[in-house]
Amino acid sequence: MSAVALAVALVGFGVVTGVASGLLGVGGGIMMVPFLTLAVGLSQHAAEATSLLVVLPTAIVGSVVLRRRGVGDLGIALRVGLAGSLGGAGGAALALSLPGHTLRVVFAAFLGLVGLKLVHDALRREEAGT
Amino acid sequence: MLLRSGVAPRTSRSLVSLFRLEPRLVAIGLLGGILSGLLGVGGGVIMVPLLVLWAGYEQRSAHAASLGAIIPISIAGILTFGVAGAVHVPEAAGLACGSIVGARFGAGLLASIDERLLKLVFGAFLAAVAVLLAVRT
Repeated sequence: MSAVALAVALVGFGVVTGVASGLLGVGGGIMMVPFLTLAVGLSQHAAEATSLLVVLPTAIVGSVVLRRRGVGDLGIALRVGLAGSLGGAGGAALALSLPGHTLRVVFAAFLGLVGLKLVHDALRREEAGT
Repeated sequence: MLLRSGVAPRTSRSLVSLFRLEPRLVAIGLLGGILSGLLGVGGGVIMVPLLVLWAGYEQRSAHAASLGAIIPISIAGILTFGVAGAVHVPEAAGLACGSIVGARFGAGLLASIDERLLKLVFGAFLAAVAVLLAVRT
């Protein structure tokens, strides 16, 4: 990929990630890490680190917009995150000692179940509502 | 009822009372943080479902809380990885240019979207991520 094409791809993928991040309240790393490893060719470690550097400004901008619109309680959210930052240090240490394969399988199963439950709930409520 | 307010003894000056948060919220933050450290993601994919299904948050509030919590969590991750020298700044800058614009739009959408539709979109998103992860492993 040429430098220009790479830049365009990065910014374009950034826009998509940003929309998903703001709308869904996620960091977007779950999309960026595969993109950075598969399309840009970074190592897994570098992709994770780089992804987090994008997650931070994205979360700040999204939170500022939500605060302005009066959605949620940023004070509580930040304190939840403070607890989370302790977990983050522990998680990084754990990552070094666990096989990544096992981790990914468990995580994928968890997300699949939760995703199905949410879709199921939404559809059932739609039926009940009409 | 009269005794209920203010009389509950604070038996321990634990981390929980320091944060003045429900233990469930602390646990959710910790889990999100651990996931973030493990996989280099924000942690929202685990925090949002737990906030809704376990802590009883409304869908919209859960997404907003998750996004705010990601701020300190990602700072911790960046510092950890930064020490290891793994951060690629040019790639991050390119992505961030786009994501900041996108986040303004996305967050505005979150503020106004129908809750049921939000639940549907998020459910589909999680299912897609699960498939993506399964394919990669």
